[in-house]
Amino acid sequence: MESTFALEMESITKVFPGVRALDGVTFRVKPGTVHALMGENGAGKSTLMKCLFGIYKEDEGTIKLNGEIHHFKDSHDALQNGVSMIHQELSNVPERSVAQNIYLGREPLKKTGLIDHKRMNEDTKELLKRLEIDIKPDCRIGSLSISMQQTCEIAKAVSYNSRVVVMDEPTSSLTDNEVAHLFKIIRQLKAHNVAVVYISHKMEEIFAIADEVSVMRDGKMIGTYPVSDLSNDRLINLMVGRDANLRFPTVKSSIGEEILRVENLTALNSRSFKDISFSLKRGEILGIGGLVGAQRTELMEAIFGVRAIREGKIFIKGEEVSNITPRKAIEHGLGMITEDRRGSGIFPLLDISTNTSIASLKEYLSKIGLLQHKQLKEEAAKYNEALRTKTPTMETLIQNLSGGNQQKVIISRWLMTLPDILIMDEPTRGIDVGAKYEIYQIMCQLVEQGKAIIMVSSEMPELIGMSNRVMVLCNGRCTGMLDKQQCSQEAIMRLATQFM
Amino acid sequence: MEMKKLLNDSKKLASQYTTWVTFVGLLLLLSVLTKGNALRWNSIRNLLIAESVRSFAALGVGMIIITKGIDLSIGYVVCLTASVAASFAQNPDYASAIYAGQSFPLIVPVVAAVAAGGLFGLFNGYLIAYGKLPPFIATLGSMSIAKGLQLIYTKAAVVGSLNQNFKNISQGSVGPIPNLIIYVIIAAFIVWVVLRHTRQGTNFYAIGGNAQAARVSGINVERELMMVYTYAGILYGIAGTLLASRLGLANSLTANGMELDAIAAVTVGGVSQSGGVGSVSGMMVGVFTMGLINYGMSFLGVDSYYQQLVKGFIIIVAVYFDMKKYARRS
Repeated sequence: MESTFALEMESITKVFPGVRALDGVTFRVKPGTVHALMGENGAGKSTLMKCLFGIYKEDEGTIKLNGEIHHFKDSHDALQNGVSMIHQELSNVPERSVAQNIYLGREPLKKTGLIDHKRMNEDTKELLKRLEIDIKPDCRIGSLSISMQQTCEIAKAVSYNSRVVVMDEPTSSLTDNEVAHLFKIIRQLKAHNVAVVYISHKMEEIFAIADEVSVMRDGKMIGTYPVSDLSNDRLINLMVGRDANLRFPTVKSSIGEEILRVENLTALNSRSFKDISFSLKRGEILGIGGLVGAQRTELMEAIFGVRAIREGKIFIKGEEVSNITPRKAIEHGLGMITEDRRGSGIFPLLDISTNTSIASLKEYLSKIGLLQHKQLKEEAAKYNEALRTKTPTMETLIQNLSGGNQQKVIISRWLMTLPDILIMDEPTRGIDVGAKYEIYQIMCQLVEQGKAIIMVSSEMPELIGMSNRVMVLCNGRCTGMLDKQQCSQEAIMRLATQFM
Repeated sequence: MEMKKLLNDSKKLASQYTTWVTFVGLLLLLSVLTKGNALRWNSIRNLLIAESVRSFAALGVGMIIITKGIDLSIGYVVCLTASVAASFAQNPDYASAIYAGQSFPLIVPVVAAVAAGGLFGLFNGYLIAYGKLPPFIATLGSMSIAKGLQLIYTKAAVVGSLNQNFKNISQGSVGPIPNLIIYVIIAAFIVWVVLRHTRQGTNFYAIGGNAQAARVSGINVERELMMVYTYAGILYGIAGTLLASRLGLANSLTANGMELDAIAAVTVGGVSQSGGVGSVSGMMVGVFTMGLINYGMSFLGVDSYYQQLVKGFIIIVAVYFDMKKYARRS
């Protein structure tokens, strides 16, 4: 008998020591629909999905696929049964080809037992053509852009004949054009009667692609609604459980003297940024816009001394800083919140206290050079309290926190170094609406205190809503500097695609 | 309900203190099997003395593993430093002494061995931090270099006939407590202070946990890595000195295989191969757990061939649980 639902998760409860992560959550998805799963970080979305994929074992409740009770051992078992997941983080083998990645672990064999490369490539070609993806099956997957790699993962899910595809923040590293392409593919999945579970914090996307929306809060399912019944404000309201009519706080800082000047900065790598000049003043938020691949992160890393430069000068508070390293940058009052939280942000196995204080240890040494643990802990706790980091204790390992709370710990780390200039690379990536607003407020407070912020962002509304000026990069070159009045999505887009 | 909570709590405690639980369990097992004979002060004293030199190697490589490195050169570096120390402590009237006819103050063999160890550590550290060689390969190379230098320096002969003053460094005691045990306590205390109470120690954990994040946080990753290998080298130098002093000689077989013992001990002691995790107390408990296993098996009359076998399995089991503990959460 055909069930009305492709996926039913009934009364799922999952308890961790000290936390009721899921409390009788029921989640049903119809085939041929895009079902958005929304909620703040820590609301329980990830935990629910981890129960589905067998990473956690639910304490209570049942999971049904097409009306049949299933429990998957792991994500591979789920994949075999037509349930696949497109992760926030890519999970491919970069040195192997697209076809090899798609057929990883189930390569077609010739009669002799050797791999049939020809068939594998042809099947992949067929698959990619069907999904209108313009990639050669034999190109190395690591040579593709992040978005193209992600598209390949979707192709892989399709090749397994998945009936349920879960996408966790699939657009977090995509440009608008790529998002449009992704949506085209999602609509094709829909047409093939696939149920798509779409997890995202981006409201625009939900309204553009979703048919139904389920909202979670504090481990409970608040409800499931047809998207046509919801408005932006109503949805935010459901997620945070309070009114959040303002998306961006107003920046009320006064612009002061110049604090950072960059002249003709050119990367050592000739394919990266070239000849970038700009200046930053106290009390200012400078937005950096551009598409993925515009070399924005690379530019930030060079200013902070992580990446080598060929030529150009950096002046901090009027003083030229040559051969900059992160240590020198910090000494001169710079701080940097990196884009890749897991790769270059958190120390997963260290506690919150150490994760917060790691960049300011030298300010907390006793006369004989030993660490003053008590002061360090208190100070770290103070910053985390101010940012309202949600954690059981300061001794909790940072890897046990949600993404938004990890981000707050990283911001605390840099605030503790008392910086004058804070570089924030995608500061709200993968963070829920409530925490986003809090981070915007923190940014406002900082510039009101006379500090300056450089913010790289791929989210247009954020870029326009928060920045005093926006510098747009395209293919490593600066294509324009827009002030508040000139700033619009169209203007940024035009500059961001100037050399395409 | 009460029972269940108690059970849960003790389970949690047990998983948190696996190393201690293993150690105490083994101790109890051994005392039951030998009807208490194995746990007399004399036996325990022998055990502590036997493990003391290894403790220095374990403290050194323990710090290295915390930074997500490894050191395979321990055995031969200790062998080299033991030979260097011994060569400056030979009786001057001994005809085949390396510096026959010459006698040196007691400080010379100690300083020479520590310097030799420190230089080797610096060499390893430089290759790994600035040369970007994988620690496994860098120390594999320096292992062979140390071995070669030892053979060249001693002409493959036994460096024996050491003077009594030098031998007293290890063989003496303060009241009932052997000197060696005092040295171990001092070394463990210093390493504990470094790891727990200095900026550098925190940096070691940070580098092992996420080197890229450490760099962004302003930590001079290269310098700290070079320092950790140097510190370890100094500890190997001390180990060499103490070993030569205790044995009264050094030859090309001295300390062979010590790298395996030390790495195994700290791994059993909860220093994770995935980096960023480990404590001095764990390292020391690890050393004595391995010692207890060796000693217990000898005491019970287990064939030494089987001892190797059992040790191998213990290392594998320890790493298996370690990997389960930390791999799952990533």
